[in-house]
This record gives sequence, C-alpha cells and structure tokens, in this order.
Amino acid sequence: MNRQTDILVENVTMRFRRAKDEATSLKELMVRTLRGDQHKETFLALDKVSFAVEKGEVVGLIGANGAGKSTLLKIIAGALLPTSGQVWVDRRKVQLLTLGTGFDPELTGRENVYLNGAIIGYSKAYIDEKYKEIVAFAELDGFMGEKVRNYSSGMVSRLGFAIATARDTPEILILDEVLSVGDLFFRKKSEARIREMIHAGSTVLIVSHSPGVIRANCTKAIWLERGRLQAVGPPEAVCSAYENRKKGTGS
Amino acid sequence: MTHQSRQFAFVIQQLTARELKRKYARSYLGVVWSVLNPLLSMAVLSLIFSQLFRRSIEHYPIYYLSGYLLWQAFTGATTAAMTTLADNKTLLLKVKFPMELFVLTRVYTALINLGYSLAAYGVMLAVFRITLKWAMLMIPVIIGCLFLFSLGVAFLLATAYVFFGDIKHLYSVVLTLWMYCSAIFYPVQQLSGPIRVVIEHNPLYIYIHGMRSAVLYGALPEPGDLAQMLLWSLGMCLTGYTVFRRSRNKIMERI
Repeated sequence: MNRQTDILVENVTMRFRRAKDEATSLKELMVRTLRGDQHKETFLALDKVSFAVEKGEVVGLIGANGAGKSTLLKIIAGALLPTSGQVWVDRRKVQLLTLGTGFDPELTGRENVYLNGAIIGYSKAYIDEKYKEIVAFAELDGFMGEKVRNYSSGMVSRLGFAIATARDTPEILILDEVLSVGDLFFRKKSEARIREMIHAGSTVLIVSHSPGVIRANCTKAIWLERGRLQAVGPPEAVCSAYENRKKGTGS
Repeated sequence: MTHQSRQFAFVIQQLTARELKRKYARSYLGVVWSVLNPLLSMAVLSLIFSQLFRRSIEHYPIYYLSGYLLWQAFTGATTAAMTTLADNKTLLLKVKFPMELFVLTRVYTALINLGYSLAAYGVMLAVFRITLKWAMLMIPVIIGCLFLFSLGVAFLLATAYVFFGDIKHLYSVVLTLWMYCSAIFYPVQQLSGPIRVVIEHNPLYIYIHGMRSAVLYGALPEPGDLAQMLLWSLGMCLTGYTVFRRSRNKIMERI
C-alpha cells in the first residue's frame, strides 16, 4: 500500500505570555505602565512536539485540559503560527469540526447550512447539490425553516457534523471533542460515517479527553501532557498509560 | 472570475445576508427602519434647529439629512466592525479565506443600509423640490471614499478591540466628540479659530460638505477638498489594513 504522510508536525513549540500578565484593557495597560509593572512571564503551551499522521490513519490526540491540544489544532489548521518548528499539511483539505460550530442562532437551519458551508469553503452550487443529503444525515427534515435558536444541542451538533462531512473527496478531518456528544444513536451513525470516509482515503485526527472515544475509533494515539509529547503508539497502550497517570497524580 | 474570488464573493454575500437578517430579525417593520430612522431624526432636528439656523442654512432638513446619513453609515460600519472578530470567534478557526473578510462584511453591510436610507433621501429631495444637478454624480465618489475611510478605521478598531475590550467605551466618547466636529446640524460658518481648522480637515466633514455642496448648490468639491477626500480614504485604508495584517498572528493568539 502506498503510504504518504498527510500531517507532519516537526518540533513545534508555542510560547504564550501568561494570561494574567496580559493587559486586557487600555486602563489596565496604563496602570501597569505607570507602576512600571513590566515583567513578562511566558509559558510553553507546546514544547518541541513532533509526530506524523499517515494518509488513512485515524489518530487520537488525548490529554487533560490545558495539555495544549487546542493550541496544536489551531496550529495544524493554520490559524496560529508556532513560535518555532513547522507543520506540513495541505490546508485546503483540512476540515475542522468543533463543538461551538459557529452557527448563528438567529438564522434558520437552512440559512446556517449555506453560511457555514460558504465559510468552510463549499461553493454555492456544491451546497445546492448536497443540501438534501446534509438534512437527511442530520435527521432534521422539517426543521430547516426553524431558527437554530430553537434547536436542541444534539440537533446543532448533528447539523454541524453533517455539513463538515458532506465533502466526498478524501480530506483531513479534525474532530475536536465532537464524538463525545449527541445521543448514542447519532454517535454510532457519525462513527460509521467516519469509517466510510476513512475507506474513501480520508485522514482523521480526533481530539478528546475521553479514552473511550479514542479506543473505539483510532488506529493510533498521541498523548499530550503539559505541552509535551508523552507517548505515541497503539490506542490501547497509550490510553492505559494515560489512565494510570491520571490515577497516579490523583487529579 | 477565478474560483477563489467567486468563493470570496459567496462568503461576503452569505455573511452580509446574515448581518441584515439579524439586524431586522426581531423588528416587525424590518428594513423599513433603515428608511424611517433618518427621517424621524431629521424631523426632530428640523423642529428644533430650522428656526435657529434659518438665516444661514436654506433647506435645513436636507442640510441635516445629508450629513446625518453619511455620519450614520460611518459610525454603523465602524462600531459593528470593531467587535466582528470577537463575535465570530468560533468561525475564525475554520475559515478558508482571509479574516479581513469579516471586517469588510460589516462595513459593506453598513453601505447597504446607507443604500436603503438613500431611498428616503431621494424622496425628501423631491419633497423639498431640489432639482437634479450634474454635480450629484459626485455622490458615488464621496460614498466610495467614505467606504474606504470607514474600512481603514474598522481594521484599526477590530484589531484594537481584540486586545483592549474597553476600546468600545472609549470609541463611543471619541464618536461624540467627532460628531460635534463634523458640523452635522449646525453651520460651520459660526465657528472660528482652531476648532474651525479642525473641522475643515476632518475627513467626515469634508465628505459631508462635499455631499451638501453637490446636492444643494450643484457645486463640485474644490480641488483641495477633493485631494483631502482621496488622501484620507486611501491613507486610512492602507494604514488600517497594514496594522491588521501585521497583527494577524497576535490576534489569533488572543482569540
């Protein structure tokens, strides 16, 4: 089988200024400048992280809150530039699906499909063509004229998932904590859809703090702890190590 | 059109449609407000000030409305664009296009609203029997300049707002001062000294003055004013855009 690397993360380091040292208003900035309060503490959100994701792999990224998962995602998606290091990925293929899907509550489901589709790079003709499929997959037939404000959170995430996975060409799908929500039935359905996409040659990166999701879906797991790469390997081994570590620290 | 620019146009169209729908979603009269609002404001101001300025300004309602419409477009565009990055936080991560489009969309939405209001303006011109003049062809040029100028200010504000939340309050104070320095409801001739100089170099006043001269007197802007118009709009647009571009990565870090 012809293997190629879809995402290559090389020595990525991200250094942030501490949030508490950052003035969030002009008033604060003035007070600080007057007091000569200039110390700038930084912290490493990511510390020389390197890994590769091959085409067709389903990689799980696991770690506690604040481990640097979201920062890493933003860097892979191209929203942030790392302080040092490099990421090789074809950004045109990357599709990022997060929980806050960016739907506008004041618009109807239908209007949101077009708005969201436009934003993630679908053309008008493409959405027209796929519209029925999206609605059917999200099981929202008859609700598309309703404002999203009146949707349940399950309906919202179903619609978000349906839009993001509507593309049939192989792509790189990044799921940020998406699989752990929704009812059991839809979770099964979305997992099936992901498997379908993998068959079509898609690469999937699943981010979660739940080992269950990783074990059920992934072919490889990456464990991130306080910005450092802790372990890479088979999901079972990495997840067990992650769970043991959690017990060990008692957090 | 290339595939990419067609996609950008589609995104702008979708985002603008959303802004307009949101704006009018909860009001029964909907888009009629854009037409009614300037007229009501004009009625109020005319009631009070047309007596006061009877000698120095003829057609006070039109004098006021010309300034008010441009001023409203400017404040509408800039205040809406200021918070656009924060408002669209969740979308920013997923976008496949430059995030400048978010700022551009809010300014463009204000331009469309100005379009609706201009319909009311047209009716008022007819009511006050203002004849059509060749100089009115300057109006699109003036609005174009206003658009670029607003866009520049919008870029600066959108960037600043990400870092300093209180810019919002500060800007509303600045706007009040700026409004009084734009001679929207009083004749500029009554002022003298440094404040007069400030007003005459205030880009908003220059745009408003250009609009009034064209509509009321059929006069083209003086070369000096025309140069200032263009310089302000291009200069501000470039400055804003450059600052925005440079801060891109910092903005994403903060968001």
